[in-house]
Amino acid sequence: MNALTKQRDRFAETDVDDEIVLMRLDNGEFFSMAGTAAATWRLIDGKRDRAGLVAALFETFGGDTAAMAADVDAFLDALREMGLIAID
Amino acid sequence: MPAASLNQLVLGSSPGASTTFSLILKSPDCSVRQVMSKSPAELMLERETRVTYGPVPDRLLANAVAEQNWQMSGGEFLLRAEGDYYFYYRPGVGVTVHRGDGADTSEESLWLNGSVYAAVASLNGLLPIHASAVAFNGAVFAFTGPAGAGKSTLVAALGRCGLPMFCDDTLVLDLSNPEQLQCLPGHKRLKLRPDSFELTGAAKEERVSRTYDKNYAAPPAGTVSTSLPLAELIFLDEARVPAIAQISGSERFVRMEDEHQTRYLFEAARQFSLSEHFEHRARLARQMDMWRFERPRDANKFEEGVALVAHHVVSHGSGGS
Repeated sequence: MNALTKQRDRFAETDVDDEIVLMRLDNGEFFSMAGTAAATWRLIDGKRDRAGLVAALFETFGGDTAAMAADVDAFLDALREMGLIAID
Repeated sequence: MPAASLNQLVLGSSPGASTTFSLILKSPDCSVRQVMSKSPAELMLERETRVTYGPVPDRLLANAVAEQNWQMSGGEFLLRAEGDYYFYYRPGVGVTVHRGDGADTSEESLWLNGSVYAAVASLNGLLPIHASAVAFNGAVFAFTGPAGAGKSTLVAALGRCGLPMFCDDTLVLDLSNPEQLQCLPGHKRLKLRPDSFELTGAAKEERVSRTYDKNYAAPPAGTVSTSLPLAELIFLDEARVPAIAQISGSERFVRMEDEHQTRYLFEAARQFSLSEHFEHRARLARQMDMWRFERPRDANKFEEGVALVAHHVVSHGSGGS
C-alpha cells in the first residue's frame, strides 16, 4: 500500500465557505479547490492509498468508478508535480 | 462524478481584545455636554499622525528618495512630493513636514490624509483599505472599487437616504481583536467631482486644491465619529442591470487583491512572510462579509441603484438577509 501524504511544509491552506484555498510556499501561487476536488483533498490523510481514496469518493458520490479513478489520477498527478503530496 | 478541478487563482504572490473608554468633555461652564469614546487604536493614530514642521532626512535607504516616491525602513516612512517637499514619519514623534522653496502646499492635506496617513496606520498594525463607507445601526457598510468607481458619490447619495458617512476613500481597520474587524472613523472630508454634485445634490464646499478637480462636500446625513465593527464590504462593479449579490468562496481572496497604494504601503510596512501573508488574507476572507453591487454607469439608472443599496444596508443592518 502506498499511502498519500500531504507535504504540509510546502503549503498553507484555509477553508472559505465550501472551498479550500491553498498557497504554495515556494512561489506564492494560490489555488482553490471546490466540490469533488476539495473532497479528494480532505481525504488525503497519510493513511489512504489511491484505491482507498477512490473507494471513499465512490461511497460519497457514487457514479462510474473507472471515470472517477481517472479523474483522481489526474488530480493526484497535478498535486504531486507541485510537490503538495507524496506517495510513501 | 464531475471532473475534479484545481483552479489557479489570479493572485500574486496582536492579538488582544480591543477596549474603549470614555472621555468626558466639559463645556466652559463645567457642565458635561458631550461624551466621546475612542479606542486605543484611534488614540494611537491621532498621536502618531500629529504634524510638526522642520528638517527631515532625504533618504531612509542608500539612495535619496525620488520625487513622487516614498521609502520605508525601520518603522519610519519618508515621502517626497514634487521638489524640496518631504513628509517624514518617525514612531513616537509623529509626522514632520519639510516645505522647501517652491513647495505646492495646496495639496498638503491630500498628502497628509492620503499616503502619509495610510503609511502611519500600516506601520502601527492597522489595515487601510480603499473604501468609502456609511454607518447604520452600529455597524459599517463599506464600498470599494478602483479610483473613479463611484465610492464617494454613492456615499453622498446614501446620505440623502439618512445614512451618515463613516469615511471617504480610506477605511482603516483595527485588527487587534482576532474575532472582529473594527473600523476606525474617517479622517478625510468627503470629496466629489463636479458631476457627482449634480447626481447627488450634495452641498458644494471649497475646492480641494488648485490641481485637483474635486470639491469638498457636506455629507447630507452627517458623519459618525466612533469606532464601529465592519458589517459588509461591498464591491462596486459595472453591469447592465442594478443588482446585489453575495461573494463567496475563493473569490474573497481574489477580491482583496486591490491595486491601490494603501495595499502596497501595508505590505511594505508589515513585511509578511508568504505564510503570514496567507494567514492575513485568510482572516480577511473569513471575517469579511463581501457583496458586489452591480450597476450601469448611467446617470438615468443612478437613483435606482442608490435605492437598491439603501434597502440592502437597512435590511441587513436590521438583522435581515
